[in-house]
Formats: sequence, structure tokens, C-alpha cells
Amino acid sequence: MTEKKQKAKDQVLVVGAGMAGIEASLTLAAADKKVYLVEKEPLFGGKVIKFEEVFANMECSTCMAAPKQQEVLQNEKIELLTLSKVKEIQGEAGNFTVKIEKKARYVSLEDCIGCNECFEPCPVSLPNGFEENLGERKAIYIPCPGALPNAPSIDTENCLRFTKGKDCQLCKEACMFDAIDFDQKDEEVKLNVGAIIVATGFDLMDPKQISDFGYDGEANVYTALEIERLYASNGPTEGKITLRNGKEPASAAMIHCVGRKKVGYCSAVCCMYNFKFIHYLKEKLPEITLYDFYSDLCMPGKSYQPFYEHLKDKAESIRFQDLKIAHQNGQVRLNYKSLKDRDEKLDVDMAILAPAVVPAEGASELARILGIEQAENGFFGFQSSDRSPGESGREGIYLAGCVLGPEDIGKAIAQADAAAGKVLALLG
Amino acid sequence: MPEEQEKKEKMNEEFEPRIVAFLCNWCSYAGADVAGSSKLEMPPTVTPVKVMCSSRVDPVMVITAFLRGADGVLIAGCHPGDCHYDKGNYYARRRFAVLRNIFDTLELEGERLRLSWVSASEGPRYAEVVRDFSKKIKQLGPNPVKQKK
Amino acid sequence: MEKRHIMDRKIGVYVCECGPNIADALDIDRVIEAVSGMENVAVVERYKLMCSPDGKKYLAEQIKEHGLTHLVVGACSPKQHEATFMAVCEEGGMNPFLMQMANLREQIAWITPDKEKATERAIRHMKAAIRRVRYHAQLEKKEIECNPDVLVIGGGIAGMSAALLLSSPDRKVFLVEKNEELGGMVSRCEKLFPDMVKGREITESRVKSLEEDENIEVLTGTAVENILGFFGNFVVTVREKESEPREFKVGAVVVATGADLFDPGALAEYGYGKIKNVVTASELEEMNLKGKIALEDGKEPKSVGIIHCVGRKEKGYCSEVCCRVGIKISRYLKEKIPGASVTQFYQDLCIPGSVAQAFYEETRNAGVEFVCTEAVKLSESDKKIQIDHDGKLATVDMVVLLPAIEAAESTSEISEMLGVKKGKGEFLTEEHEKIGPVTTTVEGVFLAGTVSGPKTVRDTVSQSEAAAGKILSSLVPGRKLETEARTSKISESLCTGCRTCLTVCCYSAIEYDESRGICTVNEVLCKGCGNCAAACPSGAATHQQFTQIQIHREMMEVLR
Repeated sequence: MTEKKQKAKDQVLVVGAGMAGIEASLTLAAADKKVYLVEKEPLFGGKVIKFEEVFANMECSTCMAAPKQQEVLQNEKIELLTLSKVKEIQGEAGNFTVKIEKKARYVSLEDCIGCNECFEPCPVSLPNGFEENLGERKAIYIPCPGALPNAPSIDTENCLRFTKGKDCQLCKEACMFDAIDFDQKDEEVKLNVGAIIVATGFDLMDPKQISDFGYDGEANVYTALEIERLYASNGPTEGKITLRNGKEPASAAMIHCVGRKKVGYCSAVCCMYNFKFIHYLKEKLPEITLYDFYSDLCMPGKSYQPFYEHLKDKAESIRFQDLKIAHQNGQVRLNYKSLKDRDEKLDVDMAILAPAVVPAEGASELARILGIEQAENGFFGFQSSDRSPGESGREGIYLAGCVLGPEDIGKAIAQADAAAGKVLALLG
Repeated sequence: MPEEQEKKEKMNEEFEPRIVAFLCNWCSYAGADVAGSSKLEMPPTVTPVKVMCSSRVDPVMVITAFLRGADGVLIAGCHPGDCHYDKGNYYARRRFAVLRNIFDTLELEGERLRLSWVSASEGPRYAEVVRDFSKKIKQLGPNPVKQKK
Repeated sequence: MEKRHIMDRKIGVYVCECGPNIADALDIDRVIEAVSGMENVAVVERYKLMCSPDGKKYLAEQIKEHGLTHLVVGACSPKQHEATFMAVCEEGGMNPFLMQMANLREQIAWITPDKEKATERAIRHMKAAIRRVRYHAQLEKKEIECNPDVLVIGGGIAGMSAALLLSSPDRKVFLVEKNEELGGMVSRCEKLFPDMVKGREITESRVKSLEEDENIEVLTGTAVENILGFFGNFVVTVREKESEPREFKVGAVVVATGADLFDPGALAEYGYGKIKNVVTASELEEMNLKGKIALEDGKEPKSVGIIHCVGRKEKGYCSEVCCRVGIKISRYLKEKIPGASVTQFYQDLCIPGSVAQAFYEETRNAGVEFVCTEAVKLSESDKKIQIDHDGKLATVDMVVLLPAIEAAESTSEISEMLGVKKGKGEFLTEEHEKIGPVTTTVEGVFLAGTVSGPKTVRDTVSQSEAAAGKILSSLVPGRKLETEARTSKISESLCTGCRTCLTVCCYSAIEYDESRGICTVNEVLCKGCGNCAAACPSGAATHQQFTQIQIHREMMEVLR
């Protein structure tokens, strides 16, 4: 075997550093494989780190994810490449050549100690995408307190130096560790790996795509991720649930199945996280009146129904067929059809939408680069029973997590270890 | 006796409590760190002693702390169900309950011992627990056992 | 463990400025002054940024230069850099467990605006760390031999998938199945949803692969009698029917013993066993496999009702697969008896995932009716079956019940044999619902498939492969197992054999040695929580990095 091939056998690429990517990396590293963990965002942890708690044990999400994240950062066999994307692959199982585009952070990870002093002087403020635009950030920023790696990055699409060519050095001047380096360049990293695991996760459908739900980012209609960030103790309101005008809602309605007709599938996790929201909202606002609008309760498995039973009395359950949201005098008007085909309406202070889980942005491009199939709904892999779920159709490339379809964390972790198992069996 | 009361209150005002906090490595210690990173001001009364799990805290440690002059002892672990070691915090809770029961025998106020659950992301909560507990201990005054020495 | 005389201890004390973070918040020079005279302190220095490459180099050099035996670093939180400085200790030739950090940043500098108070606290914390570190022990990671072979219990789709992924020339897999045939539940399904592929095709192709695989020994008609030992070193006893028991060694165990179906006979409202032509889904599958779906009198049913959620209320959970099984069965009926009318009676339609809804919609469009109902009661009516659904009535020739999936009878026995606890629904409990779906609190024992709860074939295969993945990663042929160094330990002389420690250990890491009447800690399994140390009434059990005296000394400095 050539030296290159031998080396490739000991190296694996994992695309996506959410919970599934992290798990696969740790299992592979324990087997003495060198792992390149590629993540497009400046921080890693995927969607799970946006939640305060996870169903059904209502465990603190950070307590669950942070030890694993720390393990990744401290593991010599795992090289985490943030702000990176896969651009090209060539070769075959056992010997892939991969080109990664690694964007410059403009901050040295070795020198930065994460003191956050560089943000304050930055003159540019803009909505913070991590906080679902509920809070603001600067052009040099850390997405949220506790983000890992604990170092900021410069957003070149908004920083004055990069957009307007201005010689603004305010952040660099504020840094006492000389960690900011405007001369850093985007890099192309070439890797030689024996196998690839794809764990690029999901996004939530943008409810603006469905006018029925009256979501415009201004009215008191919120998405699930917005509620997660409001409730989060490290979020834009440090855990206070408020309306857009800062007042507390006296009533709220959770709307399941938003976008379900459009995508043609059930997103598996929304019923459960809506029950979680019942817990969240009653925690912060014990007097709030809650309504849970659903079509069928999807709570499979030994733990989920007991969780629901425990919470169901705290909200009025309403089974609906069609639902449209309108705005009426600062309130949210829900016009819906009950199962008995009657037209009903209900006014609430706040509506929370559970939008469909869709493949992560960039999935199609990635499928093309990897040379693997994408189903019509955009997810990867096959749903047939005679194939292992992690199979991508291309030998040496395996799949794990929501890239396969909407599912909960437990399934994603099992798939991650299964993919790692297939890699280890392949490479020896 | 208002004069004695007044004297006690004056002493309490000047009194700076010494509180030992047993914090578990995975949740409450991490939560305390987040409180620190968020620069949440806290009274300098609490000194953290890190343990891997709140279940490491045994009654002898706690009693020793009081006998040697701690004005308050705080045990903080992961929320029930979240323990990194499966059920450790449940054992901590049981030990705490038993310990509280014997405080009368020691002529110590039960409120000098507190058990709180703080998760790794709950910086503000940790700060609140510290502030609240410090205030309580200040109200109770110095450890009566310490004074008798 | 070599015990150093207290006079030989040379503690190096370093305070990191962390730039201005610590340097501006407290008077480092005063701190240095306060600790300089302490017993065993050989050197006290300050440094701008200890975690930087230069800082680490400096520290390693200092250890060598001064011949330091212990190290105290006052800096940020140990959660940030304990691992960093432990690596530096090794670099400098020092045992990494003789290091203690004092958190001067997150827990003093950043939260104490008064510089005077901050300095006082810092002095106390540094002294506490110095007094504590004196009592640290030179812990070492141990390496133990381990067996890379694996026992897979259960020859259904879960067991077969795990065995096949594990198979390799340097690892033997024992696949033990109590029945004469492999295949389990899947071989009893004519087809599987959602793609309607034949169940037996899937199991038979795996059986063939197993037969051809020299690394896998398949033992059918065989029961597992006993499993002793621990991760890397299990001793398994199996027995094939009436023959002599056979013993072999393995390093890991995969439990893939499946589940059972709830017996609808327990519920009067379904008339199962009383009313003619009321069958369960598995009975219908049997009929289908034999080639003909028929009533008791041999005729084909013209109308069929499929009842979901049978036993759901009693079990308290949703069995995840039944809705899709019901839809699959409607397809069987429409395929085999094209003119038949098929109606499904369901409470909640559970069709999660990217393809299940399409599966449902296609079936509905093919003419299968779906009726949402809370309660169902069956009664006999003129040789037909009357279904009372929420007060409305429907009459059918045949009823198929979809019973809940429940824990298999064998689960209790396995639970006791392996020490894996039963939990929700009486299924075996995984280590963590979210991040530990296939591991258990007993290291080296893995769960795959419905033994840990209802799930689809697809998820079962994922779990089987996941268990295999974890084993492939942790039990590498030729590589020894490394134990965690920061474990608990039980003093033989102080132990009275009361076994209190054993009862509190969540990881089955403590063993009672009958011959010596004492308990011992298995360092391979110990996770280092210290629960046993707190529970021990005689002080025999202790956590090696959190001993009574270490914590005492740390605490006392605070209370001085």
C-alpha cells in the first residue's frame, strides 16, 4: 500500500459538528483515527446548543453537550475546523482527496483567551442570527455566551474594513493579547482520508414561506427557535419570555404542523418540543393560559407519552385541521377549523409556530460535491429496510443525524456511532 | 431585650460570613464559572470546593466545616435527573436531609446548610443562590459553635 | 505507589496574570508574598499568560529546573485548563496528578470588584490549593489485558446486524439465539414498511452472510446461563438444550433479545379469544406468510377493521411502529383481497419521519379509510363483528388488533445476569436517553433494538451498528484497556464488608470478595464520582483525588 493510502486509512473526515458529528468524532478518535471535524459556523454544537433544555428528561442542554464539546477540543486526535466547508472530493473509499475551504477567523485561537473586550468598541451592530435576530451583535462577535471555541470571529460581510475598506482597528486596539490579525487569509485545506461521515443536520422551514401563519418577525408570532432563545439563560433576554414590546404574554398558543402540508411529512420532534414549551412557559409565567393546537400527537417510544401526561393539564389541547393567523389590535387571531369541521377563532397574546424540519442550507450543493443521492424532499440516504440507514449510496461515505430526516437526538447519536462503526469496519 | 437585639444586629452588619460551597464538577461548578464569565457580582463570602459529584459530600465533611467555623455550607449539584453519574445527586439529597435532622443536636440552625441544584448554564441562578444564601447567613449571624471556641 | 517523605516535597506555585484579567483585579505580588513562606513551597512566580505556548514551555522548564514534585497554578477555571497544565506536568517529567489549580479568575477576579477583598480571597484560595496538593497521590493510569471477542445475545435483525459489522479475522463473535431459527420478529413479517420489502429476504440474506462468516459462531437453540466479569474480561456460560454447559471469554456483550407483544386477551373490550375472527397483527402476518388471509370458516373477509393503540393506556406509552404496521396490513389486504373494505380506527396517527406520511397518504388514496376515535369496543353481531367507536357503529367480518410492544419475559433474567436495570416500561435502561442510547451503566454491555424500547427496524439496525461501532472503537485487538486514574479505592484493612458502597454504586464497579469479606473497586468500571467514599461508614472507601484529608485541608484554609 502506498504511504498516502496508508495515511488515508488512519484519517476520517466528519462533516458537521453538531451532536452527531461530535459523537462520531469521539468514537473514531478512541479507535486511534485522526479525525477532521469540519463545521461551517464559527462555533460548534449544532442546534442542540440553542436549547436550554431537552425533552423528555428536561436535562440542561449545556450540561449534556458541553462535556462532549470539551472532549473534542482536548482530544489530540480530533482537529476541529470551524468556518469551513467541503468544496470538492475525489477518489474512493479508503482513499479520498478532500478540499476544504477554511474561511479566516481573523482571530488567533492560540492567543485569544475569550475575554470579549474586543466587541464593545466595534462600531457595527446588526441582528444576531444565532439569537434568531432577537438580539444584536457586532461585526466581531461570539454568537452566544459559552460558545466554543471560545474566541470571536470577524464577519467580513459587515466589518467596515472588509466591506468599505475603512482602516478601522478598534477591536485590535482593545485586544490585550494581540490575538486579532487582519492579515489572516482564507485557506484551502487538502486532506487525504479513508472515509467520510456526513452529519450536517437540519434547519427549520422559514414560516414566511407560508402566508397563512402571519409570521413577519414583527408581530407576536414566534418560531420554536425564537422561543428557545428567549427562554435560554444565555439568550438575548437571559430567560425572560416577553412579547416584541417587552411585555409578558398572558396567553400563548403553540401551533403544530406548520408547513407540514407543504413538505408532505411529519417532522417527528415538534409535538415533543411543544410539550417542553408548556413546561418552559409555565416555569417563567405560572399564570399564563396555554393552548396546544395539534393534528395528531406524535410521541413514540417508552419515555415520551409519560412526559406528555405529566404536562397536558397545563394547556388546553385543541385538535385542528386548517389554521390561519391574522393580527387584530395587537393580539394574534387564530382562525381554525376543528375536527368537527366547525370554524372557530381564538385570540391570544403570542403564537408559537413549529415549522417543518428541512434539510440544512447547502444540502443540495453538498450532495453534488459528495456524489451522493438526495431524496426529493432533500434529505440524504435511503429509507428502505434492506439497507443500513447510514448508507449514502457511495462506498466510504456514511450518514448520521437529521441529514437523513427529522428525528430526535437519541436516534442521531445511534446513527453517528453506527457510521463510525462502518468506517472502522471499512478501514480496519 | 431590645439592647441585646441591637447589639446582635450591629455585630451581624459587620459580620462577613464564611461559606463553604461544595460544587460538582459537571454542573454547579460550571454554572459558577458561567456566573464569573458573565461578570455577575457576588459577595466574597463563598469559597467553592470542587468535587466530581455532589454525592462525594459526606456528612463528616459538612459537620467538620461547621465545627471549624464555617458560618454556612452550600452543596450544589445537577438538577434531579441530570446527574453526570446517573443518580449521584439523589444520594446527596438524602444525605443532606438526614444531616439537617441532626442539626438541633449540634445547636446549629438548619438553615445554615443549603442544598441547591444549579446546571452548567445557570450562571445567573448560581449568583442568585450565593446572594440569597449569604444574606440568610448574615441574618443568622456568626456560627454559634465557632463563637464558643 | 511510592510515598514521598513530606520533607522531599517541592511545590512550585505560579500565578497567571491572564493579561489584565487577574493582574488588574487583585494584587498578585501580595499573593506571592503571602504564600512564599509556606512549608514545602520551593518557588513562587507570576507569569503573563500561562496557557500560551510560551507559558507552557516556561512552566515545563521550571519543573525541570527546580526539580518540582508538586505544582499549584493560580489562574482561570480548572475546567478551562486543568488538562493543559496536567500535560505540561508530564512534559516536565512530573506526575500530572500532583497538580492543583486555584480558580482566581472566574470565581474571584471577575466577580469581586473590591481589589482588597479579591486579593484576600486569592490568598486564601492559593493557600488552600497548596495545602491540598501536599496530599495528592501519584496516580497512574493502568493498562489491563482485554479480550476483543464479543457475545451477541439474540439472533433477530438486531443481533445479526451487530455480529456482521463486528466480524473481522482478529475478533470472534458468538451469536447466541434461544430458538432453533435465526430471524426474530422480522422473519415473522411478510413485508416491512415503508418500502414493502419482504421480511424473509432481509433475514435470509443476513443468515447466509453469517453462515459464510468464519469469524462468527452461531449457536441456535442455546441459552445464556451466566455472565461473570467485567468489560474486557467477561466469562460466559451457555447451554444448548440438554447438553453440557460451555464456557468462553469475551470482552463485550450486546443484548439484542427483542420484545414481546401485549396480550389483548387481558382487555375485555376487544373480545380477543372470545369473538371469532379477532386476530392480532402477528397472527395476520402468519396467515399472510402462509399465503392466504381468511376467516375461521375459510372464506375471505369482505370487510376488515384495524384497531390501533391496543394496550396503549395500560402500558402508558406509544409503541411507535403500530400505526405504520396497520397501514402495511391494509396494503396486504388490498393486495390479497382487492374488493375488501379496510378501515383503521386510531387515536393519534404516529407517522414521523420523511417518508411515513407519504406511505399513509398513498394507502388512504387507495381506498383505506381512517377513523379517529378515542375508545373502541367490540361485540359479536350476527356472525360479524360490531365495532363501537365513540358511540358510532361499524360492522366488519374481521378485526386486526395492533397491540402494544412490551418488554420480553427474558428481560428480567438478563437484567439480573448483567446488572443492567429495568426502567421505563420495564425495558432495559440505556445509559442516557439522548447521548447514550446503546450503552448502559455497566461498561461493556450494550443494548440494541427493542430490548430497550419500541422502535422501527431501521432504528434497530442503527442501534446494532452503533453498539458494534462502540465495541470496534474501545476493544481493539492487541490494544490494552486503559483505566481511569482518578478512581475510588477501598482500604482492605479498614473495610468491614458491610457492602454499603456496593449498594450506592451506579456503575456496578464494586465487587464483594467473599473469601476476604471485603469490597474492592474495579478500576475499569469506576467512573470516579466518590459516592462510595461518602457512603462508607468506616472510611475505608475513598476517592483517590478527593480524599477526606485533601478536602479537609482545602476547606480549612477557607475557614482560618
